[in-house]
Amino acid sequence: MRVLVVEDDPLVGDGVRRALAAGGFAADLVCSAEAAKSAIEAEEFDLVVADIGLPRADGLQLLRHLRNRRRLVPVLMLTARDGLDDRVTALDLGADDYLTKPFHVPELLARCRALIRRANSVASARVRFGELELDSTRKRATAFGKPLELSQREWAILECLVLNAGYIVSKSKLMSAIADWTDDLTPNAVEVYVSRVRGKLNGAAVISTVRGMGYRIDEPHE
Amino acid sequence: MTAQSIRKRLLVLVVLPAVLILTAGTLSDYFTVLTPYRDAFDQTLFDAALAISAHVKPDERGKPALSLPPDAIAVLRWDSNDSVLFKVTDREGAVVAGDRDLGELPAGPENPARGFSTYQGERVRLVTYRVNGEAGRVGISVAETLHKADRTRSRILLTALAVDISQLCLALALIWLGVRLALGPLRSVEEQLFQRSARDLTPLPLESVPAEIVSLVAALNRLFATVQANSNAQRRFLESAAHQLRTPLTGLQIQLELLTEDAAAAPVRERLRMLLEATQRLTHTTQQLLALARSDEAAGLSWELAGIDLAEIVEYTVAERSSAAIAAGIDIGAEPGPAHVQGVRWLLLEALGNLVNNAIAHTPPGGLVTVRSGTAATGSRFLEVLDTGVGIPPAERGQVLERFFRGSNARGPGSGLGLAIVAEVAELHGASVSIGPGPDESGTCVRLEFPASPTGPPPQLNR
Repeated sequence: MRVLVVEDDPLVGDGVRRALAAGGFAADLVCSAEAAKSAIEAEEFDLVVADIGLPRADGLQLLRHLRNRRRLVPVLMLTARDGLDDRVTALDLGADDYLTKPFHVPELLARCRALIRRANSVASARVRFGELELDSTRKRATAFGKPLELSQREWAILECLVLNAGYIVSKSKLMSAIADWTDDLTPNAVEVYVSRVRGKLNGAAVISTVRGMGYRIDEPHE
Repeated sequence: MTAQSIRKRLLVLVVLPAVLILTAGTLSDYFTVLTPYRDAFDQTLFDAALAISAHVKPDERGKPALSLPPDAIAVLRWDSNDSVLFKVTDREGAVVAGDRDLGELPAGPENPARGFSTYQGERVRLVTYRVNGEAGRVGISVAETLHKADRTRSRILLTALAVDISQLCLALALIWLGVRLALGPLRSVEEQLFQRSARDLTPLPLESVPAEIVSLVAALNRLFATVQANSNAQRRFLESAAHQLRTPLTGLQIQLELLTEDAAAAPVRERLRMLLEATQRLTHTTQQLLALARSDEAAGLSWELAGIDLAEIVEYTVAERSSAAIAAGIDIGAEPGPAHVQGVRWLLLEALGNLVNNAIAHTPPGGLVTVRSGTAATGSRFLEVLDTGVGIPPAERGQVLERFFRGSNARGPGSGLGLAIVAEVAELHGASVSIGPGPDESGTCVRLEFPASPTGPPPQLNR
């Protein structure tokens, strides 16, 4: 997985590059939007991590440039400002996610993985999430390399959660993921399916309930 | 204590001279009318004296004598209201005819001489005419009591007074109206200032302002511009400070996190971990100080209020902190009820984020943290964070909102600024903060209550 890091601060840039490398990514670092543009023209990247506050052309301009050229590479924006405008603008311009400085390495890696996972699920059938592996064509999942026995609806729940790993998935979203036109589902049914999936994961991932909001899947904590 | 109002000054300064002028006018009117009237009165007395003088003839001894038949005398004396008196004296002053007791005016430069006298205790107007006739020099005095004259005079005075008082009243009314109208533009400027919100620093229009206060309004506009510029400068300074501080701290933190995990750093890992912890504390405190400074600054003028749904603030915060809560083994939940307020979104997020961080830090694994919003029956809106954690001792509940205060049972690293920020943000939004026990009497419930005023801006932000 190739990641392009666009960051002008040497300490942060180097840190992010090393963190990504330690997380199993191949990371390249450039210090300006101009350098980023030519790097993206020359090579394929799976993800761009760009600081908003770059000298001269800023991160938002880079983002606009990419989206105007129909580059669909996922972009994670970094911002040091706490005003909301930057984030809203970034998301409006087509950023896939943003992270406010200062952030922790695990948070950065989790966001990067989630973005790449989502992008790949569109392009290919196989998705990895920690010790879980999902194959969308065959609707099969493995944990620690061993196949999981999942019903169609359980598989749909797991797929929906994994594709949105790190984020809360609402009950209604899960409901539409498992709904077919044969019967009416109640929110209780979603709870039942989620708890069944939870019981089958064997600790390969953890499904948590966020009361009033929905569910999220996370890699198990050491 | 304020200085005397301009309107009062103007009225006093204009009304007093006006009253004096009108009083003088009344007096001069009175005397102007009185003189011709008195002349006319004297003329009738003089005419009578002339008529009498025509009938003063020398008698057989050559002495003057009045040859006027009693009927004619009666005609002369006849008057319905007043008594007419006369007396004829010869050269030596001996009375020839008429009323003996009537006085006589001494000869003067005027002939006839005119003046007042008394007759049998009553004031009379007297004319004495001296003439050299066939009977030699004689003095003829004619007098009349003043009943009719006094009545006429007081009528003249009353009329003059009535006219002048009504003139005075009319003039006062016009002055009052004029002063009111003249000061109208002042009041409209005052109203404009009164009605604008304290955050509105746009200059006042100078076109409709009277020349006298143009410089005052221009000075106000200059002041507005200065305040605006200062506030913008402070905002820019804080933005750049935030950027300048956060970027190196981020770099430091990432590098230390990586080093701590690095296999090669094994011999110094403990020291690196201490460095990392110190850096995290530093980062946290910096964040909190910046948030506090910026909420202080927002209490100044430069943040625009927007309509905000507290339910969305609750959902956003819970979504953002859910991974930390889950990692800490805490059951986190949201109960986002509809509640709309006017406010600054990122400040509300900062405040609620601090409350949720506190709740997570002070709740043991297996505990509950619930974030709620809603609208009470009274119309007040609330944000609430409940936990089943260690709680805040009742005696310390008032103090925890102070800057740098940390509860005696506070856990983990903390700057003591989190709740101070909450208090600041609440105050800025006109909300109250209450701290009570949590749902199981052992934890904590922190509640921000926004008073019921669905449309108006909160009091602290308005005038």
